[in-house]
Amino acid sequence: MRSSVSYILSSSTSEPNMSHPDYDQYSHDHAALLVLVKHIGTQLKPKLFSKFFDRINKLVNVRITDSTGAVRNILIRYVKDHPVENNDWGDFQTHRRLLGLISLGKYDCQQELNEICRVHESFKVKYNTTLFDSRCILFGPTKNSESPTDENPVSSSSGDSEHSETTIEKFTTPSNFKTRALFYEITSPCSDLESQLNEFVNSLFWVLDSKRVERSREKLERVSLLLAPFEKKDFVGLDMESRNNKKRCTGRMTKHLGDLCLQTGMLTESLNYYAQAAEILKSVNDWLWLGAAYEGLCASSALVLYPDMQRNVPLHRNASLQEGSPRKSSQTPPAIGLGIKKSISNALVPEDISKKYREAIIHYSKYQNAGIIETEASFKAARITVEQNHALQAASFLQNVVYINLQLSEQEKIQRFETLAELYSQIGFCRKAAFCLRLAATRYVSPQNQAPNWGRCYALMLQSLPGHHLNLDPVEMRAADQGWPALQIQLMQELVVAARRTGHSALATRHMTFLLQTMWPHLSSTEQKELAVQLQSLSAQCEGSPVPLVLDSGLVVPPANLTDIPICAAFVPKDLQPHLRPRRIECDKLDTGPFLFTPIHFGGGSLDRRSRKSSSKLDFLWVQNEVCEVQLKLVNPLPFELKVSNMRLLTGGAVFESVPETIVLPPDIATSLTLNGWARESGELELSGYSTHTLGVKSNCRLRHMPVSSNYPPYYKVQVVPALPLLEVSTSFPPSVSFSNFHDENTVTSASVSLYHGESTECIITLKNASEVPVEMLEIEINSILEPSLQEQIFRCDNTEINKFLPIPPGESVNVTLYFHSVANFLAPNASVSPTIPQDMSSGMFSSMNTSIPGGSIPSRFNSSFRSSNSGQSSIAGGLTTLFQQQPSTSVIEGQLKLKYSGAEGLSSEYCRTCSVFLMLEMLPSLQVTNWDVLPAEIHSQFYLVLDIANLTTQEMELQYTPMKTMLIEGNESCRVPIPVDRCPLSKLTGLYQELNEDSLDSRNEIDVNKICSEHITDLVDLRWHLLGTDNRGIALLKGINLTLRMLDIVRMSPLNWEVKINGDIIKAQEEITCEAGDCLNLKMSVINSLQKTLQQLTLNIQFYQDYENGTLNYRMDTRLATTGCTKKSVSSLEPQAKADHECNVIFFTPGYYKMDIQCCAPESLTVTRVNTLLSTGHIWRFTPTVSFQVN
Amino acid sequence: MAVCAAIIGKDNSPKFFVTINPDEELQFQYRVLSSLDIVEDKLNSGVKGGADTKELYLGMLLSLEAHKIYGYVTNTKIKFIIVVDSTNMVLRDNEIRSMFRKIHSEYADIVSNPFYIPGEPISSKNFTTNIKNIMTGTV
Repeated sequence: MRSSVSYILSSSTSEPNMSHPDYDQYSHDHAALLVLVKHIGTQLKPKLFSKFFDRINKLVNVRITDSTGAVRNILIRYVKDHPVENNDWGDFQTHRRLLGLISLGKYDCQQELNEICRVHESFKVKYNTTLFDSRCILFGPTKNSESPTDENPVSSSSGDSEHSETTIEKFTTPSNFKTRALFYEITSPCSDLESQLNEFVNSLFWVLDSKRVERSREKLERVSLLLAPFEKKDFVGLDMESRNNKKRCTGRMTKHLGDLCLQTGMLTESLNYYAQAAEILKSVNDWLWLGAAYEGLCASSALVLYPDMQRNVPLHRNASLQEGSPRKSSQTPPAIGLGIKKSISNALVPEDISKKYREAIIHYSKYQNAGIIETEASFKAARITVEQNHALQAASFLQNVVYINLQLSEQEKIQRFETLAELYSQIGFCRKAAFCLRLAATRYVSPQNQAPNWGRCYALMLQSLPGHHLNLDPVEMRAADQGWPALQIQLMQELVVAARRTGHSALATRHMTFLLQTMWPHLSSTEQKELAVQLQSLSAQCEGSPVPLVLDSGLVVPPANLTDIPICAAFVPKDLQPHLRPRRIECDKLDTGPFLFTPIHFGGGSLDRRSRKSSSKLDFLWVQNEVCEVQLKLVNPLPFELKVSNMRLLTGGAVFESVPETIVLPPDIATSLTLNGWARESGELELSGYSTHTLGVKSNCRLRHMPVSSNYPPYYKVQVVPALPLLEVSTSFPPSVSFSNFHDENTVTSASVSLYHGESTECIITLKNASEVPVEMLEIEINSILEPSLQEQIFRCDNTEINKFLPIPPGESVNVTLYFHSVANFLAPNASVSPTIPQDMSSGMFSSMNTSIPGGSIPSRFNSSFRSSNSGQSSIAGGLTTLFQQQPSTSVIEGQLKLKYSGAEGLSSEYCRTCSVFLMLEMLPSLQVTNWDVLPAEIHSQFYLVLDIANLTTQEMELQYTPMKTMLIEGNESCRVPIPVDRCPLSKLTGLYQELNEDSLDSRNEIDVNKICSEHITDLVDLRWHLLGTDNRGIALLKGINLTLRMLDIVRMSPLNWEVKINGDIIKAQEEITCEAGDCLNLKMSVINSLQKTLQQLTLNIQFYQDYENGTLNYRMDTRLATTGCTKKSVSSLEPQAKADHECNVIFFTPGYYKMDIQCCAPESLTVTRVNTLLSTGHIWRFTPTVSFQVN
Repeated sequence: MAVCAAIIGKDNSPKFFVTINPDEELQFQYRVLSSLDIVEDKLNSGVKGGADTKELYLGMLLSLEAHKIYGYVTNTKIKFIIVVDSTNMVLRDNEIRSMFRKIHSEYADIVSNPFYIPGEPISSKNFTTNIKNIMTGTV
């Protein structure tokens, strides 16, 4: 746009005749009458002045009917300041002349009034050359002092000369001294102010119009040359009479007339004049004035097209965006304007306005001294294009402004940038506007500026933030993540400096914090370090804190927080220690209907499977008044040690007391930190972040403001339950070394003990209430992997006793006793399967049985019975089978004492605590029964239980096997002890016999018998052992002893009572009968059924044999003896308590040692007997002991 | 020969910025940023015209004292900006156009890279050298 011949035509030597640029001009101002509104004196408050100025400023349009009856639309422009030099350009463009003066002043006394009048007069003198009329608005003292001012004109002679002059003139002679004073009361509505102003404008108009008429009557050929101020020297020595010059004069005058017509509201005329002038001036190459003529043409055309365009009306660019600009311009002018437009031939179409303006500016640009005119024209053109919605054209006009080289004061340069910024923002060029604002800001504090104004600089900097996509709210800033980081960083740094220099240390700290928070990822590491150091020094002056700052302008600067210093790598709320965790006191399950699981989630949310919010609720509980922990992992991104002090948790919801923490972070190493605190209230607690104090800045680092990448929920929610008591548990036993199998995190302590099998001990568990609330509920439970029945034998605790202790008040302690017993199977596992008791111990009966019972099927029967008897044993011992497999080695039993307790409010809200004591019982082998057998005793009612007992300890053991008898066993030795035991009475067995007739299997009966008998033995036999070395005592039980059939017969009482008489004498047990060979011995025997039922099909059998005492039994007695009478007798049925008798005789032929076996057989069941007659020995009852005969 | 090239995203945040003289980068950033206003305006007026213009090249945006700024907008509203020294008279409009086309194809390549996350600033060294080559006209 700039002409390439710029400066060529302008004389470089001429002194720059500088006028002050008025950036606020509109093209419409060409048509306005310029009125200066002055504030005089100090009495009038600036606020009141601006209020009145605004009021006056409303009257910008006055319609005056002229002498011809046409209505003239007069525009008035009010300014607060007008440099006198600008009047010099009045010939060039008449709207630059100051035509009116209104001064406002307030007085309380005569002197002040005089002073105001004097100042007013001095202004009149100052603008004497152009001033047409003036008014002086005077605010007098209120009420009573008003009357004297009113009387002033009357008593004018008595007053001060100057004062009287003004007052007199006001009333009397407006012709020679045109100051009219308007007296108002400060509080009065000043209702006639508008009419007074109207009158004032009228007076201005008429003067101007008369001037116009005067000028228009001048002969165009004779007019003098109108000059722009700097042109005076250029025309020295030129031929003024040349045709060219004449034309120049005419052209300039025509243009001047155009100006006057425009000001006096004669648009049509002005357009004509301007058009003429442009023609003429073009022909004489008078560029400057040609430019002015074009500008005038544009201004009047604009006035035709856009009569409503005026300042202070914000342009809604977006609203009119859809509309084309021509349409808009045709819409806006009212009907009158349209009418005029049609009739006016010279008016420009909208597109031409900017074109003509462009030309005008190019012409202006040829003159260096017309820089201000050019600048102003650019602004005016820009404003018109803004009105036309041609943003790009406006931008180019504005761009042109920057290139105009003007010798301006710093203040004016700043104003220029501010105006540019305003216009740029009007056309929506917010970036450009921001750029200009920033330039203006830097100008305020540039080294050239003698009076740097940091405050303004700061304010402008702030205004330029939006254009750079900067928002002082760090949260929004981070969310948007827009803009040009490099520029934003620079701007923020400048802002920090500005704030600091302004004296707002708090703001400087805030902005620096903001910079570090929002721009962190865009900063290089060195920048990060430098800025952090800067922040430290800034905050030394004013500490940063997370509260909004309010500027004088009302702008609120939201708090900024150092969320990246230190970087929070992890934020993990910690569950309480397991034994401190509150648990629900289990109540009966609520009936939730027949469905355990439903895939339908009511209330939606099933689609977004794991939304962030759902994960924020933590699945554990915290307890009121209990230390709660959040674990943080912090990384110091700065290359120096960072001290972070006063770190606390930020919470919401329940009242929370946080413990401040201080930590020194080494550079670049993740450091873990635990923040503690107490919830002082039950309810829901929200953990929203943490606060820090580092680099002199207090920050609230909230999780929801953390970078998205760290993926934190906006807050964590923890349920806090009411206070619960806390028990400290200790035991009287030493703690165990290892916590092996029982992996329970609840374990608070442990107790371990070693016991020999069969030994018992007790452990005292001390429970101390270490909390502030009483324990009102306590439950003790023992857990182990063992079966409950077995566990009960090993660990025992009296539950009923515990409730007596309750409640346990705070600080008190109670003792609970726990009993330990080392349970073991004292029987060698395989002993019963293959009894290895030597033959000499076994009775002859055994062999006799073997022979009497045909071989083959018997062993199998035994085997099967043992197998099942083993299972029978396991039903007693349960899990012990596996446990004791490795016997006789040491085994370890682990158990757990579970405590469940609660109290106070915690109990009422159904929460409790659990803790557990780990119990370890090492069971050492004491003794073991390796073999056992039974022998008939001397007395019929007893038998001998013969046990091989091995001492598995290394110590000497004293074994008390009967109440009277003890014996010592050396360590690791074994010995055999006979224990007299009462036979199992029939009363215990009757139940079985009653079922004899029923369809039951042999084996089952045998098991039952076996079981009963082994229980019988267990009950009667207890082996008390005493280790002499360590003074341990214990009892060994024969629980689960397994007996063979043969043994069983000995163990249990026979259901048949025998009565055997030889030669009429009853045989005594263990008694030998001596007789001579050939003697006839009479055997008389009777069997009495002592059962409760009838026995059937009994067979009584008598058999003689010889025992060679070497394991061989000889039954071939045919040559040795003879019997008379039957050796067998069948009894078809034997009623209870009935007696069956049998009698026979025997004669021994040869001397020797004979034995007699008397047995009574009963078929196990009838069916069996029938089917398998070979196995008719269902039940064999023997007469024990066998009868021995010594035959001499 | 261009002195500066920039790729600006949909949200008017810079995705890529390169200058021949690294010291001047900040200064150029200001210039390119202010030229965006004009780009925006041109785009808006394009919409106003109704039909989506096929022409991606926006022509000269700004003529500054020392530099000329040219713009180019892809259909996805990615803006390419080239700053040219205004003393350089050799560069004609056609050359600028072809320069933009080359940059566009380079950009298309980088966006096709599976390791590039669309919307992120471009940091590929290879891309930078390619763009620099285009700017200096050595391609």
